[in-house]
Amino acid sequence: MLLWIAGTVGLAAAAAFALRKPWVRQRGRNRRADLEDVLKHIFTRRHEGREASMESVAGHLRISPRRAIRLCTELESQGMAESDSGTLRLTPKGEDWAREVVRAHRLWETYLANEARMSMRDVHGPAEREEHRLVADRQVEALDARLGHPRSDPHGDPIPRIAGDAVLSPARCLTGWPLGTPAEVVHVEDEPEALFEQILKGGLAPGTVVTPIESSADRIILSEGSRVFELSRLAAGSVQVRAVSAEYAQRSQWVRLSDLNTGEQGEVMLLDPALRGFTRRRLLDLGLTGRAKVEAALGNAFGDPKAYRVRGTTIALRNDQASRVWVKRSA
Amino acid sequence: MTGLREVIVKADMLRDGLAPDFRDQMVENLYLEADRISSRAVKQAGDAKWDLDQRVDRLVTSPLFGLPLMVLLMTAVFWLTIVGANIPSQMLATALFWVEARGADLFQSFGSPWWLTGFLWNGVWRGLAWVISVMLPPMAIFFPVFTILEDLGYLPRVAFNMDWLFRRAGAHGKQALSMAMGFGCNAAGVIATRVIDSPRERLIAILTNNFVPCNGRFPTLIMLATIFVAAQFPPLFASIAAAGAVAGIVLLGIGFTLVVSAVLSRTLLQGEASAFTLELPPYRRPSVLRILYTSLIDRTLFVLWRAMLTAAPAGAVIWILANIHVSGASLARHIADFFQPFGYLLGLDGVILLAYVIAIPANEIVVPTMLMMYLGAGSMSEMESFDEIRKVLVDQNGWTLLTAVNLMLFSLLHNPCATTILTIWKETRSGKWTAIGALMPLAIAFGVTFLVAQVVRLW
Repeated sequence: MLLWIAGTVGLAAAAAFALRKPWVRQRGRNRRADLEDVLKHIFTRRHEGREASMESVAGHLRISPRRAIRLCTELESQGMAESDSGTLRLTPKGEDWAREVVRAHRLWETYLANEARMSMRDVHGPAEREEHRLVADRQVEALDARLGHPRSDPHGDPIPRIAGDAVLSPARCLTGWPLGTPAEVVHVEDEPEALFEQILKGGLAPGTVVTPIESSADRIILSEGSRVFELSRLAAGSVQVRAVSAEYAQRSQWVRLSDLNTGEQGEVMLLDPALRGFTRRRLLDLGLTGRAKVEAALGNAFGDPKAYRVRGTTIALRNDQASRVWVKRSA
Repeated sequence: MTGLREVIVKADMLRDGLAPDFRDQMVENLYLEADRISSRAVKQAGDAKWDLDQRVDRLVTSPLFGLPLMVLLMTAVFWLTIVGANIPSQMLATALFWVEARGADLFQSFGSPWWLTGFLWNGVWRGLAWVISVMLPPMAIFFPVFTILEDLGYLPRVAFNMDWLFRRAGAHGKQALSMAMGFGCNAAGVIATRVIDSPRERLIAILTNNFVPCNGRFPTLIMLATIFVAAQFPPLFASIAAAGAVAGIVLLGIGFTLVVSAVLSRTLLQGEASAFTLELPPYRRPSVLRILYTSLIDRTLFVLWRAMLTAAPAGAVIWILANIHVSGASLARHIADFFQPFGYLLGLDGVILLAYVIAIPANEIVVPTMLMMYLGAGSMSEMESFDEIRKVLVDQNGWTLLTAVNLMLFSLLHNPCATTILTIWKETRSGKWTAIGALMPLAIAFGVTFLVAQVVRLW
């Protein structure tokens, strides 16, 4: 029996070893990660037009004021930050480092959302950890190149660059958008969490096009195609929108590819902006480009997926993607 | 450094000048150009083939005929494999064991010591012979038949029909294909996951492929179903009951695949289903030569070779364990006694666990190893008939229906064989996923058999 217990413990230890977290490396990194979190805080505060202080550092990182002071002192001694009557500022060197961390964070979120297709809800946490590793291993630029130098992350925040942020088109808050006019979501704020949750439930993400159809003191009723849903005014305040592009505005004359009846033909007009990364590339590669002729070839007993004939081949697509392809019905 | 900085800034500025959808434009232009060229060079008159294809497609994916047709075809493939492999298997076994006897005789006539003869011929050679005779005929039938379906273009339609199940599990419809391949051999099934182009879904398919029983495990399942389940029924229904039990186990395996896929895609491998694109190629007349080549050379021989590489050492280990005696009993016996309490907890026994530990290289040798232990023989053994096996298991070694059911469950769920583990490593190149692929099914097998044993005993 003793042997048994020993054997089991041994096996468990072996399994734990195989799946181990690199604790040792982690410990050396924790301090670095803390420093980077402070830099990131000062950096983002400034981009929001606010100032950072020891108190805001302690509050944001949820650490004791003493620890915050220690971290800031270390940054100062490394020549990364300066404090001036209670306000923290980054030196050019510190600015470079901080930008790298924020870049890593937003690029990783982009990777998780667009390529690994993780839910927007789940991308922040892993990015919060992965950013430090990416910076330490100098992999930020490689990731940027691999993703095709995206301009903004899945929330719609710009990815910072040495040259300054890419100029994103001006956006307005959804609450002030005129009723009956379609708007493209360009940015959703992921804090506070309760509001973010509401936004995600409504299916809103950068690229989605919605039309506000009714508005009351505390909520807004929105439509996306045939889907109608409501959003509290507070949550709508966290959503930034802009006017839709000229071609997209004609969308009302088009139908979704998934809505074609079997045997009907059409012409591809547009891939929805919500199709991003891997999925978009895949559809383009299959020939679903602008002006391509398509025919709904085969329905499915279970409704999903359906098959379409594109450029001489039959390709099955699931509805969630086929519904993001807009086509003009041929007579 | 300032020089480099300027270059980066310049590059970013230039990039800003590009249209945001310039990649879409590039693809569109490539296709336009290709269209232009092909419209000049290619003339197409009518499309009769496509009309026929479409009619066939409507039939094989129709709500009424689609699924029954699929089940019918799958059953036919299994039936062909099992029935067709029977006689060649026996012939191969007879031939290879005849060689073993002659070889051993030859060695003895040269005066080689008993342990050398035993080790080489009763150990290594018998391990090889067993794996070849059990594995080769079913594979040589299953893979060509499977390749015919593949070549015809029928398999993508299966994925098309079954996708709704996999979508719910957060997996990819093409997983149905790698699973179907897994019935032949899990290692081949793992390789077949290459058709899934998104890494997350592919990993799910790799990690769960083990839950479809392969050709190496079918004989065990069939034997148990015949001895224990069929025996509960009158002779008229016995074979139907046995077939039903095997089919039930297969369905259970598919159920486990879906459940584990769903759990994985909500925990370790979170994410939404990514681009599902499945090409439904035109139906084609299978080309015989290509089928024979891909199924026999690429698949059958490849898998057989890997299995032989692992079975030979396993045969050697079995012989050594059975023939080295310490304080009055063989090493194998000591180990089996050591496993006994744990085996009891799982509703099995020490010998079965020992057989599974030794059989990590190849599941084909589980039953021969068990019989060797039960008979107290020094090398892997076989019995003349199921009746004799039943006598040994039930009357002499206290097997119950619980033992049989749990052994079937364990056989279905336990860790993949060494060949498959090796293949998982080759496909993922990751120690972590290989470890998970090996240990997760084992944990599930332990958990399920433990629960079943406790529930049955409480009753």
